[in-house]
Formats: sequence, structure tokens, C-alpha cells
Amino acid sequence: MSENLSIVYVIFAFFSLGATLGLFTRGQKYHTYFTYVPSAFASFLTIVLSIAIFSSENIHLTFFNIQHLFDFEIFIDGVAAFFLLIIGLISFAVSIYSLSYSKKFDDKKNNSALGMLFNVFIISMILVVISNNVFFFLVFWELMSLTSFFLVIYEHENKNNLKSGLTYLVMAHLGTGFIFASFILMYTQTGSFSFDSFRDVAIIPQYIKDIAFVLAFVGFGTKAGMVPLHTWLPKAHPSAPSNVSALMSAVMLKIAIYGIVRYLFDFNAIDSSPDYVWLGVGIIAIGSISALVGILYALVENDIKRALAFSSIENVGIIFIGLGLSVVFAAFHLMSLSVLAFIASMFHTLNHSIFKGLLFMTAGSIHFSTHTKNMEDLGGLIKKMPWTAMMFLIGSIAIIGLPPLNGFIGEWLTLQSLLAVFQIPSNILQVSLAFAILTFALTIGLAGATFVRLFGITFLSKSRSSKAINAVEVPRLMLIGKAILASSCVLLGILPFIGINLIVSAFDLSYTPSSPFEAISITNTVDSNFASLLMSGVLVIFISVLVGIFAFVRIVGGKTKTIKYGTWDCGFGSLSEKTQYTATSLTEPIRRIFGIFYKPNNDIDVNFYAKENLYLKKSINVISTTRNIFDEKLYGKVISGSLFVLDKIRKIQSGKVNAYILYIMITLIALLLFVGFGTHE
Amino acid sequence: MSDFSILGYGLGILQALLIIVLSPLIVGIMRKIKAKSQKRIGSGIFQPYCDIIKLLRKDEIVSDQSSWIFRATPWINFVTTASAAFFIPVFLVYSPFGVVGDILLVVGLFALGRFFTMLAGLDVASSFGGLGSSREMMISVLVEPALFMTIFVIASFYGGTNISTIVSSANDTSILIVPGILFALIAFFIIMMAETGKLPFDNPSTHLELTMIHEAMVLEYSGKSLALMEWSHAIKQMILFTLFIDIFFPWNFAEQISLVGISFGIIIFIVKVSTLASFTAFIETRIAKWRLFRVSDLIAMAISSSMIGVIFFFL
Repeated sequence: MSENLSIVYVIFAFFSLGATLGLFTRGQKYHTYFTYVPSAFASFLTIVLSIAIFSSENIHLTFFNIQHLFDFEIFIDGVAAFFLLIIGLISFAVSIYSLSYSKKFDDKKNNSALGMLFNVFIISMILVVISNNVFFFLVFWELMSLTSFFLVIYEHENKNNLKSGLTYLVMAHLGTGFIFASFILMYTQTGSFSFDSFRDVAIIPQYIKDIAFVLAFVGFGTKAGMVPLHTWLPKAHPSAPSNVSALMSAVMLKIAIYGIVRYLFDFNAIDSSPDYVWLGVGIIAIGSISALVGILYALVENDIKRALAFSSIENVGIIFIGLGLSVVFAAFHLMSLSVLAFIASMFHTLNHSIFKGLLFMTAGSIHFSTHTKNMEDLGGLIKKMPWTAMMFLIGSIAIIGLPPLNGFIGEWLTLQSLLAVFQIPSNILQVSLAFAILTFALTIGLAGATFVRLFGITFLSKSRSSKAINAVEVPRLMLIGKAILASSCVLLGILPFIGINLIVSAFDLSYTPSSPFEAISITNTVDSNFASLLMSGVLVIFISVLVGIFAFVRIVGGKTKTIKYGTWDCGFGSLSEKTQYTATSLTEPIRRIFGIFYKPNNDIDVNFYAKENLYLKKSINVISTTRNIFDEKLYGKVISGSLFVLDKIRKIQSGKVNAYILYIMITLIALLLFVGFGTHE
Repeated sequence: MSDFSILGYGLGILQALLIIVLSPLIVGIMRKIKAKSQKRIGSGIFQPYCDIIKLLRKDEIVSDQSSWIFRATPWINFVTTASAAFFIPVFLVYSPFGVVGDILLVVGLFALGRFFTMLAGLDVASSFGGLGSSREMMISVLVEPALFMTIFVIASFYGGTNISTIVSSANDTSILIVPGILFALIAFFIIMMAETGKLPFDNPSTHLELTMIHEAMVLEYSGKSLALMEWSHAIKQMILFTLFIDIFFPWNFAEQISLVGISFGIIIFIVKVSTLASFTAFIETRIAKWRLFRVSDLIAMAISSSMIGVIFFFL
């Protein structure tokens, strides 16, 4: 216990060191090393700490005790340690990546601020996870929101970044407001700001817990990017420098998931009674909608980082589906299925951190080397940046849930828990949850299309602009950062029990850990094998089939030549980078089918040589646009509505002193009346 | 059921090999039937084998625009589809490799192959490849929900996504004609036509690249690579046919390992799969290719059919 505690101190010391050195070594030759080496080391220690917590006891400590409001309590249990592991792993890889990546800003601007904020951002996330008191939780939560806000507007020369930063700031505080309300509500019942009192089952009446949970869910959900409160996410995440986008998407969203998990399973927001079915179904519904909407907009986005941000919304949706199922199963006392759904959800949380961190770093590498994020300007990068392409390919295969990588395990577990809904003893629920399968399947399909497009247009075929032609492979340190996460994808995919055992021990689930080489196996009601999966076995089959077919082709086919020649052009000989498919044209059929979400519009402008002759066309201009109906229909209305109300309120502020004195008078009288009536009762 | 002897595994490998080896034959039979119903003589049913061997011996032309993705795709495609064959019971009621993976893994393996095929279509920088990928993308997106709903119906009825569990409990069930399964059958049949690129979704034998889907993506392939692509497409079709008869017509499987049982099982399997192939080929000659944007209606039919299956199951 004491060693673990000293690790905590060392972690803070190193992050602070990184932050300070970052600020004071401005302009030095090796300043990136001064900033990011301490953060890498501290992140590594965070991984060590979380693994130490899994195997030993929890840390529970109160630091100072001024009033009960300001107790600084830290509590690191398995739940916190699991999220610390996520923070540590991603921050470690991103820190190494940043060593080279932050050189991108060397000439242009104050690089030291980036380093400092980077360190403070990570430390604030760690502090949110380990604090055990409302006051400090909110302080660190706010610190996390503000540092990330400053990081979002780091490249403030671009006006769009400022705009998205503002959206982020408003939405983040909306979320914080809900969390705050929820905590205050809990406080009114327990009379204590410590989370320990929230854990007490007996004190708080259940309906208060319900309201508090819904408030907290909205608050944390805003931070996690659930639809319809997601609008800030695809704006803010891509605006930040890519190392920070990686942290925001891969880690910060998970801090919000942490909040929801704490509420659900630690503060006993739910109970094993059918009263909680609505809660679970609600979470599943929001999760399904988030998943579908997120991936639908990711599919038509031409900015790589924005597409990745939209896909984060999708993955948060999948995590929510798992969590919701876990609640529904628990409500019907199907405890083993509840555990299965919970493992699925947490496994996907871990997975998403890994591959989204990887993908954002790769997107950053593309930007680093080509100075553009627009897919229509890219292409052919696989020849220029082979290693980056490999990493992006691994990340893509993982995120769309294809075997044999970790994404497949997460989605397999989620699907298995969805398929198990036939065990729920309620017909209406079964049929309505079948719709969740429908949306989930559609999401998987669309995710596949999204990443075919992202990888295919960016890395394959001919380069579409000089930016892509002049691209070179990124420095080695950036590749190492990505390789750490790419290899975790492979490892967790082939030996999924490493992840599952981790989750089981972190959350203290009633499930016996197995050896990594065993099959994941689910039995049905009559105890025969419902489903099982052994990824190392799949790998063995892969290799043996490959060896077999290779031998067959060599024996039957013999030695043949391979000739390089131009792509078949029907004999016209005019293939250029303009004749190949573009990012926009690739999704044309899907855009048409899901037209209600996109409202696709083609503006065709034809110029003729002569007005009389409509056959000789000089030029044809097509502008193809899609629209975001959420931004337009929902937020447009909300914004115009609130502007209208605010405009009315502004009339109160007349600027005349006597009017203000009148307001003070009215307030005073109102207060006096309030106090007077209050004492009577 | 749990016979993990060397014999058991050997039979498992034999089942997979049957699918892999017989798959070109089914293609040949289907072509013959199509030719016959169009009043042509057509080539012999063993022609696909000759094609594959001929192609394997030919030199290859690779586009100078392409990358390693283009050259790796045929191998990846073959490995994923042929690996999927290991999980499908053919003449036994189970597959000894059943513990390794279930029907979701098979779907995932197909998706992995398709992912790389779509990338290969984009890799060569020709518009035909992009065209094929774009359409394949659309169909695969739409087929996915139908497929998972059908799997949901089947898994709920037979208590598992493990194919061995499904087949053995389907084999034990005396009543097969229940409404839920019947609707799942309709949905699965439509999915099968879509996944294997049959009419009215795709017409692989057309002479116009603009109307192709699968063939447009593999247009640039030649020699060994083309042989592997064609063969893996044939294997995929064979796997889907086998799954279809495994799930919906699970009669006369060998439940015990005996020479008579197995040889009887193999014969029954070949009869069943050729009947299904003939039926599919016959249907194909009766319909024309649909307009691309009408295809979504057909898939919507599959989705609603499987949804009705779900409702029937729960009623």
C-alpha cells in the first residue's frame, strides 16, 4: 500500500516536472524532451500503479481536513485503476509520439504552452479518476475541461478553431452543470460531500437516486458525446493538435464513461429489480442512436480527423449499448448475462481508447507530413509513408471489428449479449431490443464502409495533389508511439483473456478468470455451447491455410513472372488522378439511401460555348454538399430560441442607475418576505 | 459431440477440404444449368477447375499504381474464406473446430475479405475499381442488418451462434416448418444472393463493366491472383450454400463416425448442395438485373422478413 502511494506521488512529481520544464525551457534545443520524457515516464508509472492496484489493496486516503467540504480524499479502487490503465497506456504512447510531433509547431509559435497544457491535461484526468470528494472531483473536472479547451484553441490563428473551442466550452459547462446538480441532489440526502456517503445504500431514497442518475447521465453523456448533445465533439476534437485529439478522443471520453460506471454500479443507482428496466432501455436507446448517427456522419466527412471524431460518437454508443444491456439483464436477475454485457462494454472501452488513440496519431502524422486533413487532396500515401499506412490499416481493421484484432472481440461480446435478449422474460422488451441489434448491425456495416473510404482514399491509388506527392515518412519516434498501440490491438485481439481478466479483477466481477489461451465460451440455458471463440485457434487455422495454399499455388502453378504495367484504361490512355474515384463519389450510393440524414444536394452549373447550342459544354461545375440535420434542425432552433429569450432579458439591463436600485429594492423585499414567511412555518 | 481425437480433427479438415475442393464444381453446375435454360450447350461442369489451373500457370500483370494491398488481397481473401470453411459442418452434425469460432466469426472473416477486396478496387486508381467498391460498400452496409437479424432468429431458435450447436439442435428438432424459421429462410436466401453477387444484385457475366459490382473490383487481377480471387469467391458461395442447407434442411447428417454414415453423408450433401445450386441458377435465369437503387428494396424485404421471424419467435 505504501509503495503504491509513493508511486502516486512520483507520478504527480513527474507530470509537474514536465509541465514546469515545458514552460521554462522555451526555445531550447531539446525542449520537447524536457516536456514529454517526464510525461512518458509518469504515464508508464500510471500503468504500473494500476496493475499494482489490481493485485493489492485499494488506496483510500484523506489528505487534509479543513471542513468536510474541502477534504481532499483520494480513492483508488479497481474501477479507478482500470481507467488509470487507459490513461497511462494512451498517454505513454502519445507522449513518445509528441516528442517528434510537437516539433511541427517549432517555428510557428510558443511550443512550451502546448507541453505544459499537455501535462496538466493528463494530470487533471488522473485526478478526476482518483478523487473521492464532490468538491475536488468538480475542480479537477473543470481543470480537465479548461486545459482541453485551451488545447482546442491552441491553433487560434484559424478562426474555425476558435469557434469550435467556444462551442466546446459552452457544451462542457452545460454538462458540468448537470453533474453539479446531480451531486448537490445527492448531498441534500446524505449531508456529506464524500463519495463514500453516496455509496451508502440505505440513506438515499431510490427516486432521488433515479433523478440524480439521470442528471449525471446527461452531464457525463455530454462529455462522452452522446447524441443529441454531441455537436461539440466533431468540432473540438479535430481542432486540437493531433496528440491532444488522441488524448481527448481516446481518454477524455472514457473519463465520462468512468463517471457513468461509478454512478451505475458504485453509487448503486441500479438495483436488481424490474423497476430499472426503463433505465437500461433508455441507455440502450441513446447508445444505439449515438452509434448510428455518429457513424452516418463519419461516412460522408472529408476531413480525416472530423471523421474519426464522429466515429468516436459511434463507439461511445456501442459502449452505452453494453452498459444498458448490463442494467437490463441485472434488472431481471440474469446476473451472468449482466456480467457478460458489462465485460463487453468495458472491453470496448479499453479497445476504443487504444485504436482511437492510434488512429488520431496516424491522422496527425498525415497532417504532419502533408499539411492537410482533407482526404480529397490525399491519396497514394501508402508508397510514401508505408509504416504509417500499416498502422492506420491495423487501426481501421480493429475499429470496424474485424478478426483477428481486438475490435472484433469487443463487438463479438456486445453482439453475444445482444443475442442473449431472448432470455429476458418479456416479449415487448425482446422485440424492441431486436431493433437495437438492427441498428448495431447497420452501424457495423457503415463503420466498415467508413474506414474503407478513409484508408482507401487517403493511402491508396494516385496522389490527388502536390501535398500528397511530396509526403515523406514521419520521424521514428512518432512511429514508435503508434506501434505501441498497434501492437496492443494485435495482442488483445489474439489473446483477449488478457483484457477480460483485467476487467474481471478490476470490477470484482463474479466470473472466474481463465488462461489467455482458452476459448471465450458462453453456454445457453440447456448448458450446451451457445458460442465460443478462440482467437489463437483462428490464427493457427489462418497460418495453416496460408501455408497450404501457398504450397498448392507453387506446385500447380510453378514459377511465373509478374509484369508491371499501367492500369487498364480501355485504350484511351488518359487515366489521371482526376479520373479515379474521390472520397465524395465513393459514398454517393449510401448518401442517396440515407438521404434523410444528409439532405444531399448537387449544385450543377453548366457553362456553354454559345447559348444557342446546348450540346457544346465549356465546363461543368458540380458542388456536392451534405448537411448535418442535428446542427441545423436541433441546435439552430435552440440557439435562435435562446437568442430570442436573451434579447428579451436584455431589456432589464437599461444602464440607468435608478433602475438597478429598484431591482435591489425588489430583491430585498422579496428576500424579507421569504424569510418572514419562512420563520412562521 | 466432443470427440477430440486425431480422427475427429481429420474429419474436420476433410469437411473443410470438401467445401474448398467442391466449390468450383458448384460454379460449373450453375453455369451449365444457366446455359441449358438459355438454350445454349455451355461448357462442361468441370470447366472452373481447368480455368483455375490455367490461370495459376499464367504470368501476371500488376498495375504500376498499385501497392502491396493489391497483391496481398487475393491471399488474404483466400485465407479468410477458406478458414471460414473450417467452422461449417458438412456431413457430420458438428465441426471439430466449432469451439474455435461461431457464425459471427464466419461473418467477420467474410467481412475481412471484403474489406481488402474493396481496398484493392481502390488501389489501382481506375474508376472501375472505385465504382465496384462504392457499390459493394452500399450493398454490404445494407446486408449487414438483415444478416444479423437472421442470425438472431436462428440463434434464438436453436440456442446458439455456434454452428455445431445450431446444426445439431436443428437436426434433433422434428418440426422444421415453424413460421419464424420460414421467414429467416426467405431473408437468408436474399442475403445469399446478395453476398455471392447473383442476379438481381449483380451480374458477373455481363460484358459492360458499368453494371458490375464484384467483377469491377477484381478487374485488374490476372494470373495467380485472379485464380485465387475466383476460387475464394466460389468457396464463399459454397459456404453460404452449405450454411443454408445446414440450418434449414438439416436431414441425414452422420451423427456417429462410421464409414457408411460418412460416405452416405457426403453423397447427401452433394445432392443437397447441387439441388440448391440448380434452384439458384434457375431463379437467376428468370430475373433481370435490378436498378442499383432498387436493390435496397429487396434487402429491406430481407430485413423485414427476418424481423417478422423475430416476432414469430417471441409470440
